[in-house]
Amino acid sequence: MQGASWLPLAVQYAVVAVAVTLSAWAVLRAQAPAFERRLRTALALPLLRAGRPMWMRTLGRWIAPAPAASAAACGGCDGCGPKA
Amino acid sequence: MSAGTAPLRLALVGNPNCGKTALFNLLTGSRQKVANYAGVTVERKEGRMRGADGRQYALLDLPGAYSFQAASLDEAVTRDICRGFYPGEAAPDILVCVVDATNLRLHLRFALEVRALGRPMVLAVNMMDTARRRGIAIDLQALARELGVPVVETVAVRRDGGRALVAQLDAMAEAPTVPAVQLSTADGPVETHVQAVADALHAETRRLLALAVTMPRRTAQVDDALDRWLLHPVFGLLALAAVMFLIFQAVYAWATPLMDAIDAGAGWLGASVGAALPEGPLNSLLVDGVIAGLGGVVIFLPQILILFAFILALEESGYLPRAAFLLDRLMYGAGLSGRSFIPLLSSFACAVPGIMATRSIQDPRDRIATILVAPLMTCSARLPVYALLIAAFIPQREVWGLFNLQGLVLFALYAAGVVSALLVSTVMKRWRRDKSEHALLLELPSYRLPHPRDLLIGLWERAMIFLRRVGGIILALTILLWFLLSFPTPPPGYTGNPLDVSLAGRIGHAMTVVFAPLGFDWRICIALIPGLAAREVAVSSLATVYALSAANDDAAAQALSPLIAQDWTLATALSLLVWYIYAPMCISTLATIKRETHSWKQTGFATGYLFALAYLASLLTYQLAVALGAG
Repeated sequence: MQGASWLPLAVQYAVVAVAVTLSAWAVLRAQAPAFERRLRTALALPLLRAGRPMWMRTLGRWIAPAPAASAAACGGCDGCGPKA
Repeated sequence: MSAGTAPLRLALVGNPNCGKTALFNLLTGSRQKVANYAGVTVERKEGRMRGADGRQYALLDLPGAYSFQAASLDEAVTRDICRGFYPGEAAPDILVCVVDATNLRLHLRFALEVRALGRPMVLAVNMMDTARRRGIAIDLQALARELGVPVVETVAVRRDGGRALVAQLDAMAEAPTVPAVQLSTADGPVETHVQAVADALHAETRRLLALAVTMPRRTAQVDDALDRWLLHPVFGLLALAAVMFLIFQAVYAWATPLMDAIDAGAGWLGASVGAALPEGPLNSLLVDGVIAGLGGVVIFLPQILILFAFILALEESGYLPRAAFLLDRLMYGAGLSGRSFIPLLSSFACAVPGIMATRSIQDPRDRIATILVAPLMTCSARLPVYALLIAAFIPQREVWGLFNLQGLVLFALYAAGVVSALLVSTVMKRWRRDKSEHALLLELPSYRLPHPRDLLIGLWERAMIFLRRVGGIILALTILLWFLLSFPTPPPGYTGNPLDVSLAGRIGHAMTVVFAPLGFDWRICIALIPGLAAREVAVSSLATVYALSAANDDAAAQALSPLIAQDWTLATALSLLVWYIYAPMCISTLATIKRETHSWKQTGFATGYLFALAYLASLLTYQLAVALGAG
């Protein structure tokens, strides 16, 4: 196998795994944005509980979805607008 | 009022298409909140901005309106908010009336209505750069003097195009001035008063135009001479058909050299990467997945750009509204209206903006009908699928020594979409109780030569949209499909096609139960699934499937078109072409229908009828073609 020494099979599988995971996330984000937000919130909440180590809370903040674009005075929960 | 107190409430108001929303975006950036007005499905957009001295403003982007004599829900909302009557909405402190500098004859009339409210107001004359380019001279000082309100110039598409407006707002926040105007004092019945106001508005608009606006020495005679032919009920329609026909001929005649170059580039890249990387999953992902898949889609960029170059040129030349005028009678006969033309035309690019553009259709009945048939217009995502199948199965030869056969087939596919839309709307019209006609009011702009810069910018935007899709959703789906086609790997000693045991292979084989009567094999069935997210992914999916199932590297490096030409029958190709005319294969379109109609029933109906139409038409095509010996 030419060149196998500089790119072991394990590294190749790792790269493929990362590419597939990122692709799945991108498709989810594009096709089901509300579900993606809920999923990120659900994943982040356990990491942000009081008493968790700092690195875990940092990771939780990173996973948590950004607040929706909104007026400056609004917290961004998107739950306060008048509904039709 | 000073910085730090409650934000001053501003409302952007103006005719549709005056650049109001572009100005809103320029001023507020991403600091926007979108909701609906209470009790109605009219979009409410509010944003925040800061003045030069840090003063906070809350900016409301009101729905476009032609008049306060409201003819639609949007106009009623705008009127009531401007007057301060809308429940739950405070009256704006300052009205920013936006007018299109290239069309003041129409827009000033509404500005006079806004002024008549007697509220603090500033007039933003937008698109001044375009007006100058067309030779229209506007004396802003004279306009301000005659109107009695501040007048500023804006260019919403330029980064600093709102600076004068912000400075004026800062000045007005310190000392708001109220225009005092009385347009008509006619006594008598309401109708008489309304007519008197309308007459006064027209007269005042003409007076203002005479004082402050110098139109170029452009020739209404040329417009009239052209319109005598291009708006003629017979010659006009023939000219329109000829223009559309030539466009599709050009798509094939001009794109081939560029497509060949891209094809060769993708082939070289695949071979180079394949040689540089060791055998293994990464090599397969890059060569068979990413490069084969994306190369199969990017190759159609030249055809898409040529098509849009023509559409942009027609738009810039002022011909498109005339086409809407020409088709109004035909569209009314089919249960639509001339107003449906622009949304349907937008749907040739993508059904999503087309469906959103139906907001300009005032009649809810016409709007729903337009939304339901918009997916039948051939969007640009279908073009790669059509082009692939035409290149594989339709010989490149001349017909009557004049026309390219492939171009003729493409024209026929586009025409089939349009004719189907008219037929579907005709059937829907039969079910409706209200069959009354709604008049089409349309402004026909002067003819003009398209500016090369505008065309290039438009083409650049189209190319970027396409390439972003290629680098975004299409890339992601191609990688996922490669994964599903590659895993699980077959057990040692397995002698069959490895794809048969993969996840995607199993799904594809299961789907053939439904799709075999249409002539679709398991590989086509696999391509239909990611095509739900973006239709053109069907092409990259087929490219990946064929690259992975190739017996050797040379076969894998072949372009997709000759591979499917060998593998499929003509009946299958025709069936798939017909499937793509009708199939509701786009989740984004269906989501937009749901959002715009607020109805699962309408969305379900659109999905159901499109799927049924696609299935029946493909079934008929395939079975007929097989019976005729093409299977």
